Amino acid sequence: MKTILAKLFGNPYRKQIVFEIEDELHFHIEMLERKYVQDGMSAAAAKAAALRRFGSLEKAMKQCVDIRSRNSLRRRVLKASLIILGLIGLSIRILSTERNLDHMGDLLIMIAIAGRLLLYVRGLSPSTFLSGTDETCPSIVTPRDNSKLRGA
Amino acid sequence: MANERTDLLQGTLELLILNTLARGPMHGYGIVQRIHEAAEDLLKVEDGSLYPALYRMEARGWIKSEYGVSENNRRARFYKLTRKGQTKLEAERANWNRVSKAVTRILQAT
Repeated sequence: MKTILAKLFGNPYRKQIVFEIEDELHFHIEMLERKYVQDGMSAAAAKAAALRRFGSLEKAMKQCVDIRSRNSLRRRVLKASLIILGLIGLSIRILSTERNLDHMGDLLIMIAIAGRLLLYVRGLSPSTFLSGTDETCPSIVTPRDNSKLRGA
Repeated sequence: MANERTDLLQGTLELLILNTLARGPMHGYGIVQRIHEAAEDLLKVEDGSLYPALYRMEARGWIKSEYGVSENNRRARFYKLTRKGQTKLEAERANWNRVSKAVTRILQAT
């Protein structure tokens, strides 16, 4: 049942999105490792330092996948199509004089609203409601020793 | 030396990224390195927090990305500023100057 639902409502491009993001984040970590090795660290120490500096890979990955999925071209096209469908339905409802056509307009409006709601619900992520995951307010690290600041 | 974690003002990371990309296209690692170099270790952006910001900015049309080849011959995603991003950068720079001037005045007055 779960598999059927996943096939029906799942995003077929999600795997590709995940792969691309994973590749990008791993590239960053590889570059950090390279830099630390050049600075004289052993391979193991460089890997550990790179992962430490990067922060939570899992959290970054999840946030990126959420953002990408929400803003994918497919999703935007779907949203636009639903709006157009709703507008066509509304136009039919306003302009038609026949009862059958009225029903057709109602049906189109309902499909558009239901589709939009489904997209909205699918786009919701628990991370949206969790405190401490404010994406627009990331952390910075400043040295506790303020001598540099005073010198500046 | 112990470090202290501080929260940035909202939108500051975006401003730093836009400002860095005004120099030319760069991959994520290059952007962080450039920010760290420019800040001379006074400020360090958490590397992992860069990517969600980049993806959000791309969705807003401030930057766009395309694949290229990195300095170590690996395929990497390079980001560049769009016209919309350039306008946003100018607005954010002006806003930052206004806010920092106001805060400095308040701190000096009390």
